[in-house]
Amino acid sequence: MAALCRVVSGLRYRVRLSPRFLRNSFSSDSGPAESPISGFSAAFDHQEVLRRETQSNAAGPKASSLDPELSFAALLRRSPLIQMGPAKDAVVVGRVFRVVRDDLYIDFGGKFHCVCQRPAGADGLQPGSRVRLRLQDMELTARFLGASTDTTLLEAQAVLLGPLDGREHQIRD
Amino acid sequence: MAVRALTRGLLGFRYSRAATVASPCGGHHYVTAPSAKPPQPQAGDVTEKILNQPLEKADFFRVAELFSLKDLFDARVHLGHKKGCRHRLMEPYLYGCRLDHDIINLDQTMEHLQLALNFTAHIAYRGGIILFVSRRRQFGHLVETTAKDCGEYAHTRYWQGGLLTNANIQYGPGVRLPDLIIFLSTLNNVFQQHVGIRDAAKMNIPTVGVVDSNCNPSLVTYPVPGNDDTPAAVELYCRLFKMTINRAKDRRKQMELIHDVPSSSWKTDFNEATKNFH
Repeated sequence: MAALCRVVSGLRYRVRLSPRFLRNSFSSDSGPAESPISGFSAAFDHQEVLRRETQSNAAGPKASSLDPELSFAALLRRSPLIQMGPAKDAVVVGRVFRVVRDDLYIDFGGKFHCVCQRPAGADGLQPGSRVRLRLQDMELTARFLGASTDTTLLEAQAVLLGPLDGREHQIRD
Repeated sequence: MAVRALTRGLLGFRYSRAATVASPCGGHHYVTAPSAKPPQPQAGDVTEKILNQPLEKADFFRVAELFSLKDLFDARVHLGHKKGCRHRLMEPYLYGCRLDHDIINLDQTMEHLQLALNFTAHIAYRGGIILFVSRRRQFGHLVETTAKDCGEYAHTRYWQGGLLTNANIQYGPGVRLPDLIIFLSTLNNVFQQHVGIRDAAKMNIPTVGVVDSNCNPSLVTYPVPGNDDTPAAVELYCRLFKMTINRAKDRRKQMELIHDVPSSSWKTDFNEATKNFH
């Protein structure tokens, strides 16, 4: 019985991805009429819908604890920060949130912001404009001699590549 | 806890019936004078009922509805510092370490945040003074406006040494200290812990604190493991605390209206009781 459940759950994972993937790839070609799904995949989809309905009726506001797609582990795994990998030389899009004379404070979605010098002639970069950055480090830390913990600068380091679409004089929010 | 016992003791002092106690120690008989008769014994029972009713349910103010895991995740609460900055005592609260960056376990943060918000709500319901403390200059204005919006107090400047421990001399005799201190960041700078945590523990004042992966959670009564550096996260905390405190205060007004208690402000009643106690 346990072996049967394990086999079924293994099948479930594989089958779950394939009909959706096929549907997405065919939707642009065949238009509104979808290719007819039959057999196990149809039954499985039907059961999934029923299961979700009963869960949403019974659980109410606690749906996130039952729905595995919204668990912390799942959210973390699919987050752009984790999917990005090592931060060295990763190209990201940031948003300028403060300008102090020639320094641009840019937030790119990490823990800290980065501070970049405004390049010559790029006066179109105002608070709210989006820029492209090449990240060097997500947090500037170093262990100095005689210290027990790292000293952190509470900043990230990145190289400013330029405004997002090459149109310097347009401000995007 | 301590606050509840204190409130109970004070109410008992105020509304106790006349009693004489003879204690035979050393042959002397000590007799306490009968305390003043309560003017309205009915008001005392109703106030007791108002104060005790929230204690019967676990989440009387339904603070769990104010936030969800997705909200915490979108506000980047799970991001910690680098591995080298980690405090040894924060290791139980960490989910793991990814490419040298610590990730805080949001399942634990949810539970801790719920406890902290519930406690804050109960303190606000009973008319306690709440003090918001943060030494992060980036969020000083935000913390001050949050405190103003919920009618409580904030201290985001230099913390003088004897602020809590030497209050009677620095501010005059009989000053009332805060009943709860909320730390939006428990660090002074990246090397030192805020003095207020140690001083609040000395003065028996409960604390709620947001502890990042480089902070020491030992002396904080209700630590909330989470990010304290990103503006999105700090804005979320401020919003949650403000909503909780306002909700608790509105609930108290509602209860007083339901039970027809004369709505003289109960904060000044607490003040008078404290003065009698001293």
